[in-house]
Amino acid sequence: MAAGIAKSRVPQRAAWIFLAPFALIVLVFVLYPLVQSTVLAFQQTYGPGTKTFVGTANFTSMMTDPVFWTAVRNTVVYTLGSLFIQLPLALLLAMALNSPKLRGRGVYRLIFFSPQLMGLVFVSILAGLMFEKRAGLINQTLQTLLGWAWTPPGLGSWLDLPWLESHVMATLILISLWMYVGFNMIYFLAALQSVDDTLLEAAEIDGAGPIGRFRHVILPAIRPVGSFVVMLSMIGSLQLFELPYVLLDGSGGPGNQGLTVVMYLYQSGFEVGDLGYASAIGWVLAIMLIGLALLQLWIVRRDEA
Amino acid sequence: MSVGRRTPLWRRALLHTLLGVLAVVTLVPFLWLILASLKNKEDFSRSMFLPPGDAPGTIGWDRLTLENYHNLFDLGFGGAFLNSVFYSSTTAVLATLICAAAGYALAKFRFRGRNGVTLGVLALIVLPPTLLIAPGYELLYHLGLLDTVPGLILPFLAPAFGVFLFRQAVTQSVPDQLLEAARMDGCSEVEIFFAIALPLIRPMVGAFLLITFLGMWNNFISPQIVLQSSDKQPLSVAIAQLRGLYRSDYGLMMAGTVVSIAPVAVLFLMLQKQFISGLTTGAVKG
Amino acid sequence: MRVITIVTSARGLSLGLWVMIGLMLASMGVLFKARHHSSDASDAVVFWLFSPEHRQLYVPLLENAADMGRPLDMQLMSIAAIERRMMSGFFGGLPTADLIEVERAVIGRAFTGPLESVGFLDLTDRLHAEGLLDEINPPSFGPVTSRGRIFGLPHDVHPVLLAYRSDIVEAAGIDLSTVETWDDYFTAVAPLMADANNDGEPDRWALSFWPTQLDNIEVLMLQGGGELFDADERPVLNAPRNAELLAEIVSWCVGPDRVAVDIEDFSATGHQQRIDGYAIGYLCPDWMCAIWKLQIPQLAGKVKVIPLPAFEPGGRRTSVRGGTMLGIPKDGSDIELAWKYAKLLYTSPEVARQMYELTDIISPVRSLWDDPVYHQPDPFFSNQPKGALYIEQAPSVPVRTSSPYNRQAVFLLRDAAVELADYAKRTQTGEPESLRSEAARLLDRAQASITRVMERNAFSSVRTEDGGPQ
Repeated sequence: MAAGIAKSRVPQRAAWIFLAPFALIVLVFVLYPLVQSTVLAFQQTYGPGTKTFVGTANFTSMMTDPVFWTAVRNTVVYTLGSLFIQLPLALLLAMALNSPKLRGRGVYRLIFFSPQLMGLVFVSILAGLMFEKRAGLINQTLQTLLGWAWTPPGLGSWLDLPWLESHVMATLILISLWMYVGFNMIYFLAALQSVDDTLLEAAEIDGAGPIGRFRHVILPAIRPVGSFVVMLSMIGSLQLFELPYVLLDGSGGPGNQGLTVVMYLYQSGFEVGDLGYASAIGWVLAIMLIGLALLQLWIVRRDEA
Repeated sequence: MSVGRRTPLWRRALLHTLLGVLAVVTLVPFLWLILASLKNKEDFSRSMFLPPGDAPGTIGWDRLTLENYHNLFDLGFGGAFLNSVFYSSTTAVLATLICAAAGYALAKFRFRGRNGVTLGVLALIVLPPTLLIAPGYELLYHLGLLDTVPGLILPFLAPAFGVFLFRQAVTQSVPDQLLEAARMDGCSEVEIFFAIALPLIRPMVGAFLLITFLGMWNNFISPQIVLQSSDKQPLSVAIAQLRGLYRSDYGLMMAGTVVSIAPVAVLFLMLQKQFISGLTTGAVKG
Repeated sequence: MRVITIVTSARGLSLGLWVMIGLMLASMGVLFKARHHSSDASDAVVFWLFSPEHRQLYVPLLENAADMGRPLDMQLMSIAAIERRMMSGFFGGLPTADLIEVERAVIGRAFTGPLESVGFLDLTDRLHAEGLLDEINPPSFGPVTSRGRIFGLPHDVHPVLLAYRSDIVEAAGIDLSTVETWDDYFTAVAPLMADANNDGEPDRWALSFWPTQLDNIEVLMLQGGGELFDADERPVLNAPRNAELLAEIVSWCVGPDRVAVDIEDFSATGHQQRIDGYAIGYLCPDWMCAIWKLQIPQLAGKVKVIPLPAFEPGGRRTSVRGGTMLGIPKDGSDIELAWKYAKLLYTSPEVARQMYELTDIISPVRSLWDDPVYHQPDPFFSNQPKGALYIEQAPSVPVRTSSPYNRQAVFLLRDAAVELADYAKRTQTGEPESLRSEAARLLDRAQASITRVMERNAFSSVRTEDGGPQ
């Protein structure tokens, strides 16, 4: 009897003690700024100390701000690049590594995953040196491998290929390929565990080819994880910042070729000092993200139905 | 009956060749990085990987040098390194404890508002952090926390996805009967949490420590915005500044990059298994 | 009993947790100790600067300087780092430095908000009182003056002259000493634009210039009296003079009468083309001389400078490119001492002399212009007294705006130039007169665009429409 009372009473209070630190920090550093960001989005500031109310001006001028649209376009190109190039490659890699009989499976997995350990800043530093015109590893390798046979028109040699001057988006997508393919592969590997071997065998006996087996057995099994990974890389890609920021020395690069939405948010808020415009950009980005998430959810639901 | 049948040799060879090529492509940048950090300026432009020796066709092992690392620490990189260790480990320990406690509460206690809190946590996971950059900065300004260590660390101590991960882990690996038995014995709730719950979810603790450590170690935008004085900068900001000033000094930049990723690599190799299983928990079981 | 249970079971906690806690305590200890040691050492006046060359110049001066009370601590960092730390200090009310040397592109940043929130000390009255306003070449104050107030001490003048391949020109028996206008120049060097190798293009071009060259477009526009912002910092991209100039300089790059070619300023490819004499003439600010000496020593004795040919007879013979200033943050630890240091560094004859020897940059302080160093023959420039030639043009350097929107306006101008060149190619019109109306249309569009950006700024007192004051 006594134990029964203690059981229902003590945990009630204890629960809040365990939750308190989390709740306090979320309240101050997440919920309050979240509310504040809606207020800021209708203000213009010069640093946090000077501000004035401007109504919806931040949003209306954003619509006609060519720099903002350049940033949106670049971000979308990068996101599409990471979705349609990176994820299929990651899945292929995961399927190649999935066989438990494959020797050196753990080593391969570790190797492909390893770039993920390096933070984006450090990757950018390394990539900045690798994609450098004359001394960079990439151009040197291209020149060694292909230079004897063919050089792109308009270039003296592969060494002059201007990655960081005229092919910024391609460079960014290549770097993120190196960095994230192994990371996404881990998720797909985990997902492939749930593929039912007996179903696969049944399909094989029924005469389904590798493509048929993939479409009818593997794909349905990995769909939940697949949609999670798509979501994850979409959210990550749309918020790209460090990579181009460090690679292009804090600017958008020539002609703003590498400017992303978050970079523009940073420039507006912390270089120009307009936290209001930055908040408005933040909201537009958040709405884009939520919209995409809902779209994704809707597609998954529809396919399941 | 795929279990009994052996894959033909040529297919295995092809698979290994393909994977091998990809593995080399993945690893070559690391190799280039490490070797370049050990070469002087002259050798950097003369050779792609190892410097040539005096006789043609040989390798000049004796030409490798630690000079770049010396220069790096002369430029005050050691301070940035210590800062990074301090920020990252502190964030990791505190965030892990805070999230574990909250996840434990959500998993094991029935209290009013539990469903609401759980739903709130799920909603916060979806919230893009970039939305909070500008108002967060304004808040730190009003709290007088700009250019302070708490200003950098506090906002990172309560990641919602951590609470979610720990809630999953506790639900799976901490049996209710054990908690009840401990309460019968007269253990306090705090004792139960530290002595029974935490050890049972040890893999998740390890994984989450590494996740938060990596997150802070690689964090760039927050220190860039919050910290202003040079003696507080972590490695990520210090190395980006180094690039602005010494970008043509390849060896130095490479040495800086090696120093920045080495500790993380060591930690990862130590906690590799837990890390990967922690990462995928949310996806597969969630 | 219970305590023991907890301690023993603590070993059951993750190894990682203990490693982390260890790291945390160890780093905390070391950092605490380091902070404790360094806190008493810094009594110095802090000076942020971005140029290793400048630091090299200041070191000997500071060693020999009379005792200033507190020493100067020069902290070298990248331009981006200075910009970020300066602005985050100004925005967040955090301490910055006692002195900051900033590049011209960065200084405009400090002028976006209300006048009273400019983080730099207003030096106008001091400059008046101490007579420095008259001593320094007036155009140099342009980029550091916002809404009539001066916020920095200018470091340089940076006049632009025309550097040309004297070896090639003289070998052809051409005399450029009587050249007065761009037309004169193009006519004079026309014989050099022959097509000896029969590839359908001249082997050499008269001038290195292209509509994509952001800085050089600004150089030519400023020379010709074009303006992107008026004296009240209102945008005037669509002024008729701008359309005339844009049509003129774009016409150099198109059509059968094309005279200009695209050569990059700092790349190895560009340097090779300079060595080959692919273009005869180059728009050359004083600082570019040192870069050429260092990066293309092959040109030694093969180049000379003359004043820029003018757009009309009697027109301006120079322009301006680049620049640096020294500012004193308002919240510095000792403003008077910082001001003393600023004057020492920026008006000292020794620094000026060494600055010229090391970087070919001439001082903005007019009383120093008689220094013999500027009159010495410069072997790289075929023994011309190059310094004196630059100084001769220094008073005529055009005044630049300090508008924070200048950079954006120049980008828009560049876009207009590129589009105009495309238009010329498409319609096969190469004459300046026939390009003018299209140039005016493109500049109207650019004006609308910059106006929109500026109207967003609720703090600026600058009125963008023609309605006059508020």
